[in-house]
Amino acid sequence: MPIIRTIGLTKRYEDLVAVDQLNLSIEEGEIFGLLGPNGAGKTTTVLMLSTVVKPTEGTAFVGEQDIKKNPDDVRKLIGICFQEPKILWVSTPWDVLNWHAKVCGLSTAERKKRVKQVLEDVNMWDSRQKNVHGLSGGMRKRVEISKVLIQRPRIAFIDEPTAQIDVVGKHKIWNMIRELRDEGSTIILATNELHEADMLSDRVAIMHKGKLLVCDTPKTLKDGILGGDMVEIRLEKEVTQKSLEELKNFREVVDVIAVNPNNLRVYLNKVEEVVPQIMKLFLKKHLPISSINMSEPSLDDVFVHYTGLTIEEAEHKSPSRWKH
Amino acid sequence: MRAILHVVEHDFQNFFRYKWWLAGLISMNLADLFIMALVYNQMVHPDIARQIVSYFSFFAPGVTVIGLFASAYMIGREINMEVRREIHHYMLSLPITRLELAIGRLLAGGLRGMMYMSPLLLTTFLILGFPTVPQLFVILGALFLLATGISGLSIATAVSTTSLEKFITARGLVYYVLFFCSSIFYPLSLIQTLGQEGIMPQPIVVLAELNPLSSGTDLIRSFLMGTPTFSFYMIRNLVIFSAIFTTTAMFAYMKIIERR
Repeated sequence: MPIIRTIGLTKRYEDLVAVDQLNLSIEEGEIFGLLGPNGAGKTTTVLMLSTVVKPTEGTAFVGEQDIKKNPDDVRKLIGICFQEPKILWVSTPWDVLNWHAKVCGLSTAERKKRVKQVLEDVNMWDSRQKNVHGLSGGMRKRVEISKVLIQRPRIAFIDEPTAQIDVVGKHKIWNMIRELRDEGSTIILATNELHEADMLSDRVAIMHKGKLLVCDTPKTLKDGILGGDMVEIRLEKEVTQKSLEELKNFREVVDVIAVNPNNLRVYLNKVEEVVPQIMKLFLKKHLPISSINMSEPSLDDVFVHYTGLTIEEAEHKSPSRWKH
Repeated sequence: MRAILHVVEHDFQNFFRYKWWLAGLISMNLADLFIMALVYNQMVHPDIARQIVSYFSFFAPGVTVIGLFASAYMIGREINMEVRREIHHYMLSLPITRLELAIGRLLAGGLRGMMYMSPLLLTTFLILGFPTVPQLFVILGALFLLATGISGLSIATAVSTTSLEKFITARGLVYYVLFFCSSIFYPLSLIQTLGQEGIMPQPIVVLAELNPLSSGTDLIRSFLMGTPTFSFYMIRNLVIFSAIFTTTAMFAYMKIIERR
């Protein structure tokens, strides 16, 4: 039984269809990546699932509760880290988090312990009494994500968790998200950082222009690109035409380009299975290999495969409804 | 109930963060009383002065109501800012029902007004004398109705206006209409006389009579100065004002804000 199930979930803003007939199932305990460029409909999906905005059509079940019929029950199950930190600028991190923990029903002792622990974990303890308007964008984002880390909800929606955060901070937050999952939360991670989704997600759904393009594990999606893997082979001798033909006859090999007679670029599938066979072939043909480099496709390649655009190109072409 | 208290606590915390705004408001209210009222005291026509004891005494309850109005109205400014910065998405995502959230914000606005007004009311008592205990409860009850009504009016305005400019314009309009078409600065009897003589347009006279700020101010005056005479119409006006704007604000907060 999935913990989240959307049925034809749609949101329209006048002429713009922000989310178009979304059908998704998210299993309990997984980190589910919602991937796509800005304007793809990820944030609107999160806002609908968290009952902040109402769908125009369709519905969703969150923890078996219908978001349209029982929104109050849905909100008892969820916690959100918003893309843009939703914090009043006159507040302090301590007050924001302490109040959030109180509203979420944590006891006084537990609240103080968790707020202190999380503020220390995100390196915000020393800045806990500063006004939010005096904090950098990255610091505000750390306060924002601290809300779900303190709350430990059954379902956590995390929208662009590491935007504006430095590399060290990113890794720390990724580990904290994994820990949150290990403690029992289901995590819906909305991001346009494909590497982040690849690193964290058990499954990913790629959205573009409000529509769901594909949904599966990152590995299955990457393996699904024909010729997505690439092997670059340097030989000590020049390759013969016959060897080249035999290489092209491998079922998994999609294309072979001879950059020069000693240097081959092979596009193929299932690289880890085929490379030993390629090495065996060249050994049999007395063509010693001086070096071999393998690379797998990334989720960027998956996105390009399904949309014909890089994520940057897609962002430039997406309509933006958000006013700031 | 617990959720409502959390929301009230949230808004109270924020109220005291605007220290400079509060300092400015207090300075303005004290200047109204100790500069403007003292000067006007010397300018008022002797016939009018006989009716009101002194302008300084007459104006003290008015300043109390002005302070109550300005501080209770401030909740709308915060809610408008939340909507513009989409912070309301956070409030709407919390494990609180929409009704609890709306009631909490409405109450917080009213209670903030009452808290800010308390020292001004005490100053008024020091100037005009203390009411009896039952009169004190009637005054506090009536001012609480006024404060929640003002809070409701400001919340309804805040969620119905899409930009800061529109909100500030609406606020200015409400301030000037309610302040100047009321008995805060001049006795209602004088406005009515001017109306009868054709000097004051009749709609302004009617507005001043129905204005909840007139009712609140005159209710304090009736107990502390004996003029105008206490009338249940004052309470009725405040109940109607409070009922209309608390209902409107709750509807606006629960329905309009979700569409943003």
